[in-house]
Amino acid sequence: MGIVYAIISGKGGVGKTTTTANIGIGIAQEGKKVVLVDFDLGQRNLDLILGLENRVIYDMVHVMDDEAGLKQALIKSKHTENLFLLAASQTKDKSALVQEKVKKLIDTLKEEYDYVILDAPAGIESGFEHTIMYADATIVVVNPEVSSIRDADKAIGIVDAKSERAKENKKVKKFLVINRINPSMVSNGEMLASADILDILSIDLLGKIPEDKGIVEASNSGKPIILNENSQAGAAYKRIAKRLCGENIPFEDVESFVSPSIITKIKSLFQ
Amino acid sequence: MSFFSLFNKKEKSAGVAKDRLRIAISSDRNNTSYPFMAEMKADIIEVVRKYIQAQSVHITRESDGDVDTLGIEIIIPK
Repeated sequence: MGIVYAIISGKGGVGKTTTTANIGIGIAQEGKKVVLVDFDLGQRNLDLILGLENRVIYDMVHVMDDEAGLKQALIKSKHTENLFLLAASQTKDKSALVQEKVKKLIDTLKEEYDYVILDAPAGIESGFEHTIMYADATIVVVNPEVSSIRDADKAIGIVDAKSERAKENKKVKKFLVINRINPSMVSNGEMLASADILDILSIDLLGKIPEDKGIVEASNSGKPIILNENSQAGAAYKRIAKRLCGENIPFEDVESFVSPSIITKIKSLFQ
Repeated sequence: MSFFSLFNKKEKSAGVAKDRLRIAISSDRNNTSYPFMAEMKADIIEVVRKYIQAQSVHITRESDGDVDTLGIEIIIPK
């Protein structure tokens, strides 16, 4: 029986879908069977980030309404074995989601996959509630910035009040991913440090992702950053994936700013 | 850094952010009633009305360390 993670943020644009894609690939690279489900109905993007937009024929609403079989709708990743995507509907909106059908879909996926990872829509409306309803644990993505952290806290509150596990008085584990950390700003006291964010939200840390120009390039080409061996953000996602697979990986310091040495600066003049 | 900036040191914005967030979030957490508060209120009124003519119900949620307490006040007309 697999475990169900909902990836949530409250605020939009903090890197939820990027995180879903990278974590998914990372866990699949560890040899686990992973399915990613895009719950952002009407604003499908996970397919684009994974470079699979041309392969979407059937989506999750087709499956829930029995217009397509699950096998037909699941799209195999180009980059990684063991990784599958169930795309969001682009034509129907969140009103297409019905509680019992969502439950049935997730139960079926849990039987076949080790990790079922749900990419929640931004906001805290009904689409969000459907995503967190049957999650065993949530991964909360924030940027080190006040509005993102406040919205995340609100989203966490809804998980604790409304999810099925919470109603059964069971704990819903919450893990924090801090995305887009700018080390030089943190060092200068111009950006919230991870310790402060953890202190405010009081949930467990899962990983810290430094800001990386490569992320934009990665989404441009549909090849998530974790596939780039030289990227720091990619390495950070790899560590997160290993932690989610039960490995004990110490947290690296991505917040201290190391200014490039004079030699690297001179070298870069000649490149 | 100029000579004067030594005396006129601006507070670091990350510290300001932390303090402001703390206050905003603690007030969010306290003020937000449960999402199901309205439904619960209606249910309570219904139950109470079986026995006595309730006029209105006020529910207040308070946090006290590790536990939340709900105060339910039922107003009965004389």
